[in-house]
Amino acid sequence: MATQTERHSTLPQRVGQMNGAWRLFVIGALAVLGFGIYSFWQEATQGMVVTGMRDVGTMGGATWGLYITMVVYFIGVSFAGITVAALIRIFNLDHLKPIARTAELLTVVSLILGGLAIIVDLGNPMRGVVNLFKYARPQSPFFGTFSLVVAGYLFSSLVYLYLGGRRDAARLAKSPSRLQWFHRLWAAGYADTPEERDRHDRASFWLAIAIVPLLVVAHSTLGFVFGLQVGRPGWYGTLQAPAFVALAGVSGIGHILILAAIVRKVTATPHRIGEAIFAWLGKFLLGMLLVYLYFMVVELLTLVYATPETEKRLSDALLTGEFAWIYWGSVAALVISAVVLIWQAVVRRWSVTWLVAVGVLANLAAIGKRYLIVVPSQTHGTLLPYDTGSYSPSVVEFGVIAGLFALGALLIGLFFKAFPALPIEDESEEVIANA
Amino acid sequence: MKYGMVVDLDRCQGCRACMEACKVENNTAQGHFWMYVFRYEEGSFPETQINFLPRPCQHCDNAPCVKVCPVGARFSREDGVVLTDADRCIGCRYCELACPYGVNYFNWRKPEKGQYEIVDWSDPDLEPVTGGAIPPYRNPDLDGLHGEEQRRTGGGSQAKGVMEKCTFCVQRIEKGLQPACVTTCPTDALVFGDKTDASTPVGRYLAEKRTWRLLEEAGTEPSVFYVGSRPPTHRSKEIERPKASV
Repeated sequence: MATQTERHSTLPQRVGQMNGAWRLFVIGALAVLGFGIYSFWQEATQGMVVTGMRDVGTMGGATWGLYITMVVYFIGVSFAGITVAALIRIFNLDHLKPIARTAELLTVVSLILGGLAIIVDLGNPMRGVVNLFKYARPQSPFFGTFSLVVAGYLFSSLVYLYLGGRRDAARLAKSPSRLQWFHRLWAAGYADTPEERDRHDRASFWLAIAIVPLLVVAHSTLGFVFGLQVGRPGWYGTLQAPAFVALAGVSGIGHILILAAIVRKVTATPHRIGEAIFAWLGKFLLGMLLVYLYFMVVELLTLVYATPETEKRLSDALLTGEFAWIYWGSVAALVISAVVLIWQAVVRRWSVTWLVAVGVLANLAAIGKRYLIVVPSQTHGTLLPYDTGSYSPSVVEFGVIAGLFALGALLIGLFFKAFPALPIEDESEEVIANA
Repeated sequence: MKYGMVVDLDRCQGCRACMEACKVENNTAQGHFWMYVFRYEEGSFPETQINFLPRPCQHCDNAPCVKVCPVGARFSREDGVVLTDADRCIGCRYCELACPYGVNYFNWRKPEKGQYEIVDWSDPDLEPVTGGAIPPYRNPDLDGLHGEEQRRTGGGSQAKGVMEKCTFCVQRIEKGLQPACVTTCPTDALVFGDKTDASTPVGRYLAEKRTWRLLEEAGTEPSVFYVGSRPPTHRSKEIERPKASV
């Protein structure tokens, strides 16, 4: 028993250590995930009639609902992680390195969740997995949302995460533990010689350069899914794609702030994930937030100043009608976030608690805004004399989405139990930083 | 050759026989109306007017639903008919949102659950009439493969989780017949044929009468042409709201 404890204490950052709180977290997440799988099972066997979605037009429903809202949200969250990681690599922002792996993992996990959220939204999920690749049509904006995101974006992010962690894996593979096989597998013969290190460095640099345009394209096509459609009021517009990228940045950096605070607490590393890192993330978030608020004001002005008759019913529903509480609630959350960040920037003191609160607010607002892009255009302001429709998500939809969140938390938790969240500190790190 | 349809609104009396004929021919599920007739009101007393507007799929030459389909299940044929391949559709429902006309219907549940339950088919008194065959009756024409492409595109209630819409009755036109709605219309308000040939009834209508198309501004180039009356506006209000749903 004593040797067991000794063996485990050799791994840094509580890797491989299980305590009561960890077990409680896993059991809780598994329970929610189980409910999500049960909900999806109902949908798969009985058909999508168990969701709140129905056909637009004579049936008076919305054919895309909470699932697509969350697809857009999850893929949006993925934006910031790999962007931050790539910026760290391209501009050698070494002081941010402690959060690089957390950010990369966030991208990988949220892309997996986004892909799964598309699958659960399909009437034929299994056929979808095959046909979306087999018969992929790049002419469809949906191509960017699934085929490009999963095949290109997720894969390159995984490779990036893999390359970045290989040195730590090689180091961990030397210490005996129950997870040694995993670290050996990851290291795959890497011995951390100067040539190897140099080759990795160059590979990840060029990969980072390649990922940045790829992710701008992927997120823009997500905006094109809506922005290229004239058939729905409120969708067609050049602003959709850039606004999607901006809001993706807001929700994603908000998420990194939350995750960085959790990692710092769980691994007990406040000295490494210091105030400077939070300050940098806070400023980045403020920048994205201001860009998005600018887009929003421009959009709002266009909407109220010169509304075409067909769009008026939609804008009324958004600004003063059925959806007003979501619209103004999201706007309030974004404005409050911006005010808090500006205030912290002015006094030059960045409080982790406030930043986490801003991260949560920004993400709630992002979900709200995504919902408002997807749903109201289907139920309000149709171009033929159909009556106004309605949509409210069913328990099954909420269950599936809760299950996806639980899966994400579980994946992140498990990963950081098997692998250190921060790069392992040692003297050779200095050598590389100075090289 | 390109198929087209002319809807003569001066003849339409809003009887909705075409909707019924479509359902019988194509075995569409409950709440699905591949052909739908708007009955809407405009103006206020004493200047009010009630109008009727049959709305099949517009079989657009520049179909937005074909453009957005991620797997090519929705496609345009050489003869202008826009169809859905039930064997390839993954059920993402993007076509439904790209279409400004609201003509797409998704199979939200298993087709056998979408059948109309008008009578109790297990009733022994019905045995002499049905000869033991328990509905749903399936029109064998709907199960075959159609067109040069040989794809499964005919009829409704094909499978759970796939999109369906008006096919211009592809199973009938390939036999040289007219679509079900056209043959049923008691006032000959619906005319179907080759829109590029001036000698056909459709061609003559196009040559002689002033026609308009629905949502011309959307740039979809519909193959359904309307004669008489005028397009509905945002002030047109349906006089009854369809309650049929799933």
